[in-house]
Amino acid sequence: MSDYEVLLQQVVNGLSLGAMYALLALGFTLVYGILELINFAHFNVFMVSSFVGMWALQLLGISGQERALTGFALVGVLGFAFIVTMLAAGILGVAIERISLRPLRGVRGTAAMITTIGVSYILFNVILLTVGAGSENYPNPLPARRWQWGEVTIDLKEVLIWAVALVLMIGLQLFVNRTRLGKAMRATAQDAEAARMMGVDVDRVIMTAFFLGSALAGAAALIFGLYYNYTSFIIGYTAGLRAFTAAVLGGIGSVPGAMVGGVVIGLIESVGGQLIAVRWTDVIIFSILVLVLVFVPTGLFGRATPTKS
Amino acid sequence: MAEPRAGMTSDTFTRLRRAAPLAWAAPALRSRALIAAAAVAALLFPIAIRNDADIDSLANALAFAALALGLNIVVGFAGLLDLGYAAFFAIGAYSYGILSSWQLQPDWSSFWEPFQWLGLVARNHTTAGDFVHFQVSFWLMLPLSAAITASFGILFGAPTLRLKGDYLAIVTLGFGEIVPIVVRNWPSLTNGAMGLNGVAAPQLFGFNFGIAATPYYYVAVALVALLILISVRLKDSRVGRAWMAIREDEIAAAAMGVDRVRFKLLAFAMGAAFAGMTGTLYIAKLQTATPDMFMFPVSVMILVMVVFGGIGSVWGVVVGALILQVLQSWVLEDLSGWLHVLGRFVGVDWLQRVELASSIELIFGLILVFMMLFRREGLIPATRRVPALSLTEQSAQVGRGGFDRLAGVGAGAERDGEKLLEIEDLTVRFGGLVALRSVSLSVPAHRIVAVIGPNGSGKSTLFNVMTGLVPADGGMVRFAGMEILRLPPHRILECGIARTFQNIRLFPNLSVLENVMIGMHARLRTGTVGAVLRLPVTRREEAEARERALEILAVFGNRLLPRLDHPTASLSYANRRRTEIARALASGPKLLLLDEPAAGMNPAETLELVDQIKSLARIGLSIVLIEHKLDVVADLADNVIVLDHGEKIAEGTTDAVRRDEEVIRAYLGRSAVYA
Amino acid sequence: MTNAPASCSEMLEFRAVDTHYGDLHVLKAVDYRIEAGEIVCLLGGNASGKSTTMKAIMGVVRPTRGDILFEGKSLLGVSSAERVRRGIAPVLEARRLFPRMTVYENLEMGAYTRPRGPDFDADLERVFALFPRVKERLTQLAGTLSGGEQQMVAIGRALMARPRLLCMDEPSMGLSPAYVEQVFDIIRTINRQGVTIFMVEQNANMALSIADRAYVLQTGQVVLSGPAAELRETELIRHAYLGELKVA
Repeated sequence: MSDYEVLLQQVVNGLSLGAMYALLALGFTLVYGILELINFAHFNVFMVSSFVGMWALQLLGISGQERALTGFALVGVLGFAFIVTMLAAGILGVAIERISLRPLRGVRGTAAMITTIGVSYILFNVILLTVGAGSENYPNPLPARRWQWGEVTIDLKEVLIWAVALVLMIGLQLFVNRTRLGKAMRATAQDAEAARMMGVDVDRVIMTAFFLGSALAGAAALIFGLYYNYTSFIIGYTAGLRAFTAAVLGGIGSVPGAMVGGVVIGLIESVGGQLIAVRWTDVIIFSILVLVLVFVPTGLFGRATPTKS
Repeated sequence: MAEPRAGMTSDTFTRLRRAAPLAWAAPALRSRALIAAAAVAALLFPIAIRNDADIDSLANALAFAALALGLNIVVGFAGLLDLGYAAFFAIGAYSYGILSSWQLQPDWSSFWEPFQWLGLVARNHTTAGDFVHFQVSFWLMLPLSAAITASFGILFGAPTLRLKGDYLAIVTLGFGEIVPIVVRNWPSLTNGAMGLNGVAAPQLFGFNFGIAATPYYYVAVALVALLILISVRLKDSRVGRAWMAIREDEIAAAAMGVDRVRFKLLAFAMGAAFAGMTGTLYIAKLQTATPDMFMFPVSVMILVMVVFGGIGSVWGVVVGALILQVLQSWVLEDLSGWLHVLGRFVGVDWLQRVELASSIELIFGLILVFMMLFRREGLIPATRRVPALSLTEQSAQVGRGGFDRLAGVGAGAERDGEKLLEIEDLTVRFGGLVALRSVSLSVPAHRIVAVIGPNGSGKSTLFNVMTGLVPADGGMVRFAGMEILRLPPHRILECGIARTFQNIRLFPNLSVLENVMIGMHARLRTGTVGAVLRLPVTRREEAEARERALEILAVFGNRLLPRLDHPTASLSYANRRRTEIARALASGPKLLLLDEPAAGMNPAETLELVDQIKSLARIGLSIVLIEHKLDVVADLADNVIVLDHGEKIAEGTTDAVRRDEEVIRAYLGRSAVYA
Repeated sequence: MTNAPASCSEMLEFRAVDTHYGDLHVLKAVDYRIEAGEIVCLLGGNASGKSTTMKAIMGVVRPTRGDILFEGKSLLGVSSAERVRRGIAPVLEARRLFPRMTVYENLEMGAYTRPRGPDFDADLERVFALFPRVKERLTQLAGTLSGGEQQMVAIGRALMARPRLLCMDEPSMGLSPAYVEQVFDIIRTINRQGVTIFMVEQNANMALSIADRAYVLQTGQVVLSGPAAELRETELIRHAYLGELKVA
C-alpha cells in the first residue's frame, strides 16, 4: 500500500471516529448551550452506557465475536441495543440533573462544574469497583463484511457508525427545528427569561436537554464498543477528552460546531497517529484545546464568550 | 490623632481606637492554645508512635496538607479554579529528582568546573570517560524548586488571565495533563514511565536521611508550619486583600487600583512554589518519581481537600487534607478489616473481600457533590461569624452638617476652579450602537458637576470610559494635565480618580473594613516579602491604613463602624452604598465619580448624604455625580450636564437646565403628531 | 376580529403592592386599576419602578405585600406560563426576540401556550395584516432585523397569544421617530380591535397622545394619576420628571 493509500485509509478511519466524537460532543454542547455549564459527568455517562450496551447485547445471547447475525435479526438486535442504551443513558443524565445540579441553579461561579467533577468521579469509581479495571470484551453481532476501494478498506462497522450518526444528527436537527419542545429548547438557550415569559417550562426544557444529550452519549458509547470491540472504565476519560476538545474547537454551544469539530478531531487522531507517534496524540489534543481556548475562544462556529465581560 | 466624629458614641470610638489587629483577645487566646497543642502533638508524634509506616503515612499526609495550602492560595484566595495543580507538584519533584540522581550524565568539560567547586556537581570517572553527576543539595533545592515551579506557574497562568472561571479551569486542566505526558515521553530527561530512581536522600551536617521516615516527617512538619505562616500572613495583608478582591469582583478590584495581571500571576506563582517545595520533599522521601504520581486524580484529590476543609480557610484546608489522608491510610483499612470480620460472621462473600481503601476516590466524588450541595463553605469556613449588634449600635446616629477634615482626602495641588478633568469629543461605540457621540465637558477643581439624562443616555458609559473599563473610539480625556484614555483601570485609580457603581459592586464576602482597605490598595506599598516577614514598616503601614479606614467610615456616624467585621453582603442597601463611597474615598482621590449615590435612600438619608457630599467638596475633592433625584442635583451641583442618546444637549445650572426645551423634550419625549 | 372583553370591567388591579429587591423597597403601596378596553400608560423617570411593575404582572417579580388581580382573580403564586394562558402577554423591554430564530419561529413562540389549529392561522393572518413588513421577513433571523422591525415582530409575537391584556415595556425605546409613530399607530389599532393595553413609557408625550389614562411613578410611589387629556395639559408631568413635584 502506498503512503497515499495508507493516509486515505486513516482518513476513512478518522471519519468513523469523528462521527462517534461528534455524537458525544453534540450531547455535551446541548447542555452547555442552555445552561452554560461544563458537565464533566457527561463523559462518564458515556462510559457507563457502554457497559449497559454490553449487558444489553449479552442479554440477547450475544457475547464475544462468535455470533454474527444478518438481515432482520441484526437490525433487531442492534435496534434493541441502541434503544436500551440510549434510554438508560438519558435517564441517568436526567437523574444527575435533578439530584445534583438543579439545587445549584442560581449559584454563581464554578460550584456546579465542581459538582459535575464529583459526579463524574462517582460514576467512574462505581464502575471501577464493581466491574474492575480490566478491559471487557465487547459482544459483536456484526458479520465481518468489508468493501474494497482501491487499497482502502471500508468495514461494515464504519458504514453502521455513519448510518447511526447521520440518523441521530438528522433526528436531532428535526427535533430542534420542527418540534414545539425543540424550539422551546432553542429559545431557552437564547434568552431563558423571555422564553419563560412566553410560557416555556424552563425546568422541563433543561431536563429534555440532559435527556437528549445523555442519550446521544449512550449511542456514541455503543458505537465505541462495536467499533473497538472492547470497553473499560477509562474510556470516559480518553474519548471524553477528544469529544470535549471537539466541542470547544467547533464552538462550545454550537450544534453544527460539535459535528464539524468531532470529525476534525477524529481525523487528527487517526491521521496524526499515523504521521506522529500515537503516544503524542493526547498531548496534541490537549494542546489544541488549550490553544483554541486561549486564542480563539469562540471556536469555529460559536458565540459563547469564555472571556470576562 | 483622630477624634470622635459627631454622633459616634464615645464607647464605640474608644473600643475601636484600642482595637489593634489582634482585637479579639478571647477567641485569639483559645485558638493560640489549640495551635500550641497541635504543634506539641506534631513534634512528639514520632516519639510516641514508633511505627515507621505510621510516621511515613503522617509525613505523606503533611505533604498533602502543604499542597492543599498551595491550592488554597490559587482557588481560595484568588478565586482561580486550577484543575491541573498536580503539574506543579510534578515539576518540583522532577526538578530535584533530575538534579540529584544519576539520570543525567553529560560529558565532563571545563564548563562544569565552577559548579563542581560549589559542590553542585561531582566528576564521575569511568572507563568510558568522565561524566557529570548532579548532586544538588536538598536544602538548596527547596528554594530552587520553588523558583523553578513559580516560573511555570506564571507560564501556565498567563494564558488564562482573560478567561472566565470554567474556561480557566479547563486550560489549567490541559496543562495539568500535558506535564505528566511530556514527562512520560521524554525518557532521556526523566526516565519516562519507569521513573527516576537513585534520587539522593537529603543530608544534614553529615547525617544522611536514609529511608527511615522520621527525619522526613520533621521536615514536613517544618514545611507545613512555614506554609501556614506564609498563608496566614499573606491573607491578612495588602496582598491577600488584593487576591480576595479579584476573587469577589474583578472589575471592582481593578477600579480600586488592583493590578489584576500582576496579582493573578502572583497567585499562580505562589501556589506553584508551595507545590514545588512539597514535590521536592516528597521525592526525596520516596527516592523515586514516576509520572503516574502526578495525574489528574491527584489534582482532584487536592481540590477535594480544599473544598472539604474550607475554600479560603488556611486551617480548614490543613485539617481537611489531614482528615482525608488519615481516612485513606488508616481508617478505611481498619474499617475494611471489620467488614471482613462481619462478612465472615454473616456469611456474605462480598463483605469479606471488600477493600474500602481503593474506594477512596468514590468517597472523594461523594464529598465533592455533598459539599457543593450542602456546605459550600467547607468544614472550617473562611469567614468568621460576627457577634450581634447592641441596640445602641443598631440605631443610626448621624449628625447633620457633615465634617471638616478627612485624612488623606482632598486638597491637592490644583487651584480652586482650574480645570481638573477635560473631556473632548469623546465617542464610544458598542457594535453598531453609538453610546456616546462627541461628548465634551470639563470639571473644575473643588466643584461638583452633575450628569443627568433619561434612560440609556450614556451616563454610566461615560463613567466607564473615564475609568478605563470600556474602550473609547475617539476623543480625549485629560486629568490633571495627563491623557488617561488608554490607561488600564488600576492606573487611572492611581492617578486619582475613584468611583462608585450604579449597581453597587462591593466585595460581598469581605467585611466592611476589608472593603475599605482594599480601596487603599494603591496607596500602600507592602508587597509579598513585607507581608510575610511582617517587618516593622509593614506593621506601621497596616496600622495607619486601618486608622485611616476607621476615620473614613466614621464619616457615616455609627452606621458602618459597628459593622466593621460584617460581610458587606449582609448590610442594608443604603449601608452598602455608603461602604462603597467610603471605599472610593479610601483611595485618596482627587476626583470622585458617584453613580446614583442616593438611590434607594429615604428622604432623611438623602439629606444626610447631601451634607456629606458637600463636605467632601469643601475639603478639596472634585466630584462628578450621576443622579436622578433632581432635588439632590439642585442642592449640590455647581454645573449640570444633560445627556440624551449619547449627546450633550444642555449645560448650566439646575434651574436653567430644567427649563431648557431640549431637556424637557428629552425626558418627556417628542410631541405626538396628533395631540 | 375582536377579542371578547372580560365579563368584569376591571381587567387588571394592583392593590397596595409592595416589592423589594433584597432590602431595597422598590414599589411602595402601589395601586393601579385598568379597565377592559382602555389604554393606560405608566410614566416616570428612571429608577421609578416602571419596569418592576411589568415584571410583577408577568410573574418575574413577586410582591412582598398586596395583591395583583387579573379579571378578578389573584395572580399570586401563578406561574408566568399560566398568566399567558389566562390572557396576559408581554412585549418586553428592548424587544428580546430570540435572535437566532426566524421571525416565523418567534411568532410561533408567542403562541407557545396555545394548541395549534385554525385559531393559530387566524392570528397569524391578523399579525400579517397589522405588520405587512413582518410577512415579508418571515424566514429572516430575528437578530438581523432593525430595531423598528424587531418591535413589530415583538408586538406580533405577543398578539399570537391572543391576549386580552397586552403589557408593553417601553415600546418606543431605541426606535427612530418614524418607527415610533408607526408603533403607536398600531397600538391604537390593536386597542380598537379589543385588546386592553397597559404600557410603560419614557416618552410621556407620545404615550399621553394615545392613552385614555395614565399613572406617574416616582421612586416607587404613584404621584399622579388621571385622564390623559388632563395630564397632557398640565405642568405637573414635567415637574414629576424634572423633580419639582414634592409628594404630599
